[in-house]
Amino acid sequence: MLEIRGLTKSYGSRVALDGVTYSVRPGEMFGFVGPNGAGKTTTMRIVLGVLAADAGSVHWAGRPLDAATRARFGYMPEERGLYPKMRVGDQLSYLAALHGLPAATARAAALRWATELGLAERLGEPVEKLSLGNQQRVQLAAALVHDPDLLVLDEPFSGLDPVGVDVLAGVLARRVSEGAAVVFSSHQLELVERLCEVVGIIVAGKMVATGPVEELRHRGTRPRWRVDGPPPGWVRTVAGARVIDVPAGAGNRGVVVELDQGADPTQLLDAARAAGPVTHFAAVEPSLAEVFRDAVSAR
Amino acid sequence: MSRTSPVLLVARREFVERLRDRTFQVSTAVTLVILLGVIIIPHLLSGGGTSYTLGVVGDRARSVAAAVSAAGSATDITIKTQAFPDQAAAETAVRKKDVTAALTDREVIVREDLPGGLAPLLQPAAQRVAALDRLREQGIDPARVAAALASPPLPVRALQPRSASADANKTLAFFGIIVLYGQLATYGFWVASGVVEEKASRIIEVLLAAIRPRQLLTGKLLGIGLLGLGVLVLQAIVALPVAVAIGAFDLPTGWVGTLSQVLLWFLLGYAFYATIFAGAAATVSRQEELQNAITPLTLLIFVSLILGFGAANNPGSTLATVASYVPPLSVLVMPSRWAAGEVGVGQLALSVGLMLVAVLAIAALAVRLYEGAVLRVGAKVRLRDAWRSTARR
Repeated sequence: MLEIRGLTKSYGSRVALDGVTYSVRPGEMFGFVGPNGAGKTTTMRIVLGVLAADAGSVHWAGRPLDAATRARFGYMPEERGLYPKMRVGDQLSYLAALHGLPAATARAAALRWATELGLAERLGEPVEKLSLGNQQRVQLAAALVHDPDLLVLDEPFSGLDPVGVDVLAGVLARRVSEGAAVVFSSHQLELVERLCEVVGIIVAGKMVATGPVEELRHRGTRPRWRVDGPPPGWVRTVAGARVIDVPAGAGNRGVVVELDQGADPTQLLDAARAAGPVTHFAAVEPSLAEVFRDAVSAR
Repeated sequence: MSRTSPVLLVARREFVERLRDRTFQVSTAVTLVILLGVIIIPHLLSGGGTSYTLGVVGDRARSVAAAVSAAGSATDITIKTQAFPDQAAAETAVRKKDVTAALTDREVIVREDLPGGLAPLLQPAAQRVAALDRLREQGIDPARVAAALASPPLPVRALQPRSASADANKTLAFFGIIVLYGQLATYGFWVASGVVEEKASRIIEVLLAAIRPRQLLTGKLLGIGLLGLGVLVLQAIVALPVAVAIGAFDLPTGWVGTLSQVLLWFLLGYAFYATIFAGAAATVSRQEELQNAITPLTLLIFVSLILGFGAANNPGSTLATVASYVPPLSVLVMPSRWAAGEVGVGQLALSVGLMLVAVLAIAALAVRLYEGAVLRVGAKVRLRDAWRSTARR
């Protein structure tokens, strides 16, 4: 398990991280979200040992990190980086060897991942000759080539076309099912919602929410219900209920109602039915984007 | 199967990728061609000695020309003669530069002036012929005259004889420091540009997630240094036999020692310059900014070369003596002084020892600069910031 405890980091007088704490279990995909400049990249660089924290610690499997442990991590930095003139195959097996694989294993791994990501034809070409999309695939292969126990990916989906997104999502899901821990940051919250069981939201260097997506949806937000049927005048008759949205396109026949914590939704349904026939009645789950906006604006 | 040490992996990559690089191949080939040119062209131009053609009018002049020719052959100057029926024909030949000068019974006719190499042969020969004629007119037996005049030249006794092999070693050392200078500047630059390549392409972050900055730097220095050493040896292997084969140069005794000096000082000089080049290069993020960062170092190598030339000319001078102990100037100064036989093993060991201390000190400094600056992308990293930021790592 990756355990990040109380990381702090300042650049001069600017505080980048202020007690960042979270953990990621093997077989878990962790979505790391937050506004630009909130501290996602800084946290990831500290986990990889590329940057030193001012205080706090990072543990893997209960022990502080050392070179041997970090060799089992895979990293895809936000600023993509490969040797432009080095051949794809050489580059991948070189990086695998740097992570401790013996030469023959490293070459085999390079071939396997290049094939997996559709780069088998390109093994002998220098990276600079590849299209941007293919360079991105090489970058991903570089992070995966030594089958790391922990994958740390900084904005891995940015710049990918929908097919690329699917390929990457598929590869990550498989690594997770094989027991790897995956942390990735993204601004594409629908993707995070789709892929991750657990998310962490960081704002201005502090974790403001961490936990399973399901849990975050309901934490601190009042239950919401969508009722289609009579015009919304009837809502006033229910204690603790407020109209918060009249969706366009519903022709004044649909309404989203927020109930106070503990209020009985059946009273809502009864009041609606008393006013006219009801065609739709369902709980509205807040999206991760809404959770995110609430978390950011609460600061 | 065991894992290979990261330093060796990095070194191998640097060696192999550089070897495959077109720029490297072309620059190595061009350097080799220039080196051969420097050896072959002066040899071709010198063409094996000087030669003059003398126009001759009259019997007396013919005797003078024969005497000039005899004297010339003793001093490696070839004199050819060409007879003319009269003075006018000879003058025309001089004007048309068919002959260097024309001899008549009374004078020498030249176009502008008498060549410096010809005058010391011509005048004594003319005097000698004139003297012989007058003695013969007075009835003295020409054979006795000739016997009286045939005195052997003065023997020369040198108190400190110059040996041909010392001269040849000096020449070897002179070429050696030029090549050494080229190698240090070139391979220092390769290291610097390799450091910037990793920063500019941002792969540095991927690499440093796997290995330590010190391992990366050590491997890079090792790989490029081995390549530099290999090319230096290649240059010697190609250039020396060519120089010997065309007769431009005779291998002196002690040539192995002189060459070993060049290799030894390459290793020391490379260790010094390449590490500090790497430290300086780590402070910038783009190739365009690199030149500014390394200019002071390039100048330092150049100043060493100038001092090295000075030492080659005058290996005993105070300046050369001092510079041969001061790191890193000693790199390009000591080989000449060694080749000239000016220093013994003890002095050499002192100079090498001082250089080693300097290498260790500069390496500690450069590695810290590198570690502090290599991950900072963007504006040029100030040296003080790079130095401080390493403290916590």
